Amino acid sequence: MAETATPQIQPGIVQTTEDKPKSGLEPGYLVICWNDPVNFMDYVTHVFQVVFGWPRKKAEFHMLQVHEQGKSVLTREGLEKAEHYVHQLQKYTLHATMERDE
Amino acid sequence: MKLVKATKSRLVFELGQREKRSLPQILKLYPCVPSAHHVLSKSGRLPDGVANQQLLDEALAEQRAENKKRVQALLADPRRFEPAESTAHLSLSPVELEWLLQVLNDVRVGSWVILGSPENKPAELNAATAPHFLAMEMAGYFQMQLLEALQHET
Repeated sequence: MAETATPQIQPGIVQTTEDKPKSGLEPGYLVICWNDPVNFMDYVTHVFQVVFGWPRKKAEFHMLQVHEQGKSVLTREGLEKAEHYVHQLQKYTLHATMERDE
Repeated sequence: MKLVKATKSRLVFELGQREKRSLPQILKLYPCVPSAHHVLSKSGRLPDGVANQQLLDEALAEQRAENKKRVQALLADPRRFEPAESTAHLSLSPVELEWLLQVLNDVRVGSWVILGSPENKPAELNAATAPHFLAMEMAGYFQMQLLEALQHET
């Protein structure tokens, strides 16, 4: 999972975490792959390698996370890039979505 | 189906007689996944969610149309399935192998969706479900052969 920056709170200043508008370029969207009983483990590993350019070990780690935990957060990106990855994964008929990181 | 020759630009597979007959049958089923199958977000909490979903649908439709053309061209090209004694040779570039994997997985997942997205193998098959189950299994078989070949190459 991506790290979250620690907020610096100053005395007398009320800080809110209310919906600060996120631009499409800010990394704030999680690309998630979900488990299903139809895609082969080797196929999922292969797709992760192709789409993200990952080495086999990293691809296998995420594939196993999908298999054992039901989902894996593959990356955290800005809007456009997250959409791009979801499209690439869905081209291969994987069950992938993007969700706002809140 | 086994890999018999591999260079940087071509991979040549040997297909048995049954494989030679069944691969085109499986490929002709493409596209199989319903267009509404893919969603951009589960929560639906994205800016311009509807418009972005529409863009994704359009991009995937374009991709399907392109793949369909490629499948038709592959099936119509007699040089792709060269006869070799009792077998046949299928020659693919690495790029073609990649989209063939996409096409086969579409048939596999699409057939599974038609079967009702079961968690396990259906307990009983009937005249309506058997063809889809067979397509799902055959597409998976060819996928695994291609993936094995790729793993040997790397």
